[in-house]
Amino acid sequence: MTVDCPAGRAIKYERDNIDTDVIIPGQYLKIHDYSELATHAMEGLDPSFHSKGGSYIVAGRNFGCGSSREHAPIALAESGIRAVLALSFARIFYRNSVDGAFLLPIEIEQDAYSGISDGDDISVDVDGGTLTDHTTSRSYSIKPFPEIIRRIIDSGGLFGYDPE
Amino acid sequence: MAKTLFDKVWDSHTVVDGGDGPALLYVDRHLVHEVTSPQAFEGLRMAGRRVRRPDLTVATVDHNIPTTKRGLPIVDQTSRVQIGTLESNCRQFGVTLFGMDSPHQGIVHVIGPQLGITLPGSTIVCGDSHTSTHGAFGAFALGIGTSEVEHVLATQTIWLEKPRPYLVTMDGRPGHMVTAKDLILYLIREIGTGGGAGHVFEYSGEAVRAMSMEQRMTICNMSIEGGARAGMVAPDDTTYEYLRGRRHIQENFEEMVDVWRDTLRSDPGARFAKSHAMQAGMVAPQVSWGTNPGMTCDITEPVPHPDEYSQGDPDRERGARRALEYMDLEPGTQMTDIRVDRVFIGSCTNARLEDLVQAAEVAKLGRVADGVRAMVVPGSQAVKEDAEGQGLHDVFIRAGFEWRNSGCSMCLGMNPDILEPGQRCASTSNRNFEGRQGSGGRTHLLSPAMAAAAALTGRLTDVRELA
Repeated sequence: MTVDCPAGRAIKYERDNIDTDVIIPGQYLKIHDYSELATHAMEGLDPSFHSKGGSYIVAGRNFGCGSSREHAPIALAESGIRAVLALSFARIFYRNSVDGAFLLPIEIEQDAYSGISDGDDISVDVDGGTLTDHTTSRSYSIKPFPEIIRRIIDSGGLFGYDPE
Repeated sequence: MAKTLFDKVWDSHTVVDGGDGPALLYVDRHLVHEVTSPQAFEGLRMAGRRVRRPDLTVATVDHNIPTTKRGLPIVDQTSRVQIGTLESNCRQFGVTLFGMDSPHQGIVHVIGPQLGITLPGSTIVCGDSHTSTHGAFGAFALGIGTSEVEHVLATQTIWLEKPRPYLVTMDGRPGHMVTAKDLILYLIREIGTGGGAGHVFEYSGEAVRAMSMEQRMTICNMSIEGGARAGMVAPDDTTYEYLRGRRHIQENFEEMVDVWRDTLRSDPGARFAKSHAMQAGMVAPQVSWGTNPGMTCDITEPVPHPDEYSQGDPDRERGARRALEYMDLEPGTQMTDIRVDRVFIGSCTNARLEDLVQAAEVAKLGRVADGVRAMVVPGSQAVKEDAEGQGLHDVFIRAGFEWRNSGCSMCLGMNPDILEPGQRCASTSNRNFEGRQGSGGRTHLLSPAMAAAAALTGRLTDVRELA
């Protein structure tokens, strides 16, 4: 997985507890074709999501709560999302995002959450620990990944992960 | 050093001790279902790997099967394919499958305990967030994603960051018609849906000790709705009595009980990272009004005003406003004035025998109200058979409820049992997320007795007024 997060459009949902049933409703979990799955991403909350061409999602607390469906990060990644920037994440979604090298789940602080607007052009420097909003020319710090998550990301997913 | 129950189970399963970093844990039991496993088996095939311990792996079909008469073809083609894929994967990799026509088929979290696959002090994983259910036996049981399912199939181990123990004490005894479901909804309402993030709950206190295994499973099941990785209850005689003689229980069971008795509890003075205490006697029957399980109130209360609910937090206020809009509810409306179209008694939270007995006690007091469609979906075919042995099906059918075959059914909107847009449902399931029970559907979470009461009156009802 690349930790490269070049400039792209942020789609902002000013909501806490965006759950996996909203990210990909249960009726689509039978779909095995990822590109078709992607057309239903966020359908429960924002039916136009897939056509917006966003690279990043900005959201509040407890993003991805609910089901263990890996279809959730897959549907977002297949829609072009490189990273979800949220105040906090539910654990299964967080881990699923990196296990299959689908997208980066990045924890942000309140200043970034408040400062970034829907549609802003943003980029992330993961190693530098910063997030830049090019629309407003403001930068914010991001929280570092826990050790296991960082190592899984660097390994390109769970199956490349080698603890030594 | 004094250890918590969770620490003991964790430490006894560590293959690679990570210190403060990630650890590799051994997995004692792996439960598999049709929705989160196809890509995992496909991954094994592509890498030329086998299932390392098929003897510790058990599969069933539950999420997308119809709950109508068994033996009929499955109309939905994608469901049929997904179920067929699990059948062929289990054949190819030598995994035991309790399929559509098995008398042991049921919701994965109902059949694990029922068959004696779930054991105290063990580690259990499944590609399903409600795997926390099995913690009722003193197991460390957690939901995982499909990549991890593949990892466990291949290695029987899992890399995890160590969660922190969180003590939840439920003191006293609940009042008349107040159930385990009400206690867990009340807890989540108090601590919030992210309250347990990064933690494993250990439920203790007089109310928990007095609970049956089925009730303990209900509270552990919804640990995930409080944000926790898992929930646990220290095993005791209630646990051992439940397990004794079940299908997968082995000959050395009594020796194991002696070991479990000596070890599987938190030592006096063990340190918990967090704790929360509640008085069971203060809890009224609960019902959710919003779109997450924390948006819950007493049945005697009105729908809250978002500014009251917000406690000064603008994000909470926004969330409440949106939830009320989705639920089509006005603040100040009495919960008991809210009419329902559908009633669902089922799911891995509340579809065990005791749940059905409680619902039947209420159902026998009347008939399903005009215009209401009410379904009872046993958690497993064995639960169904036991319930029929007690004549519960007659009680439900006579009262106008549908009596169906087991499956996840209307909990999650991925099989034919779904809400129509705009329909309002009194549901014993675990999630009231937007669209969870079908696009545009509106869910009110409550106990089986409360759901049966709503079916009879056609509105959310304080069951204490009926029974």
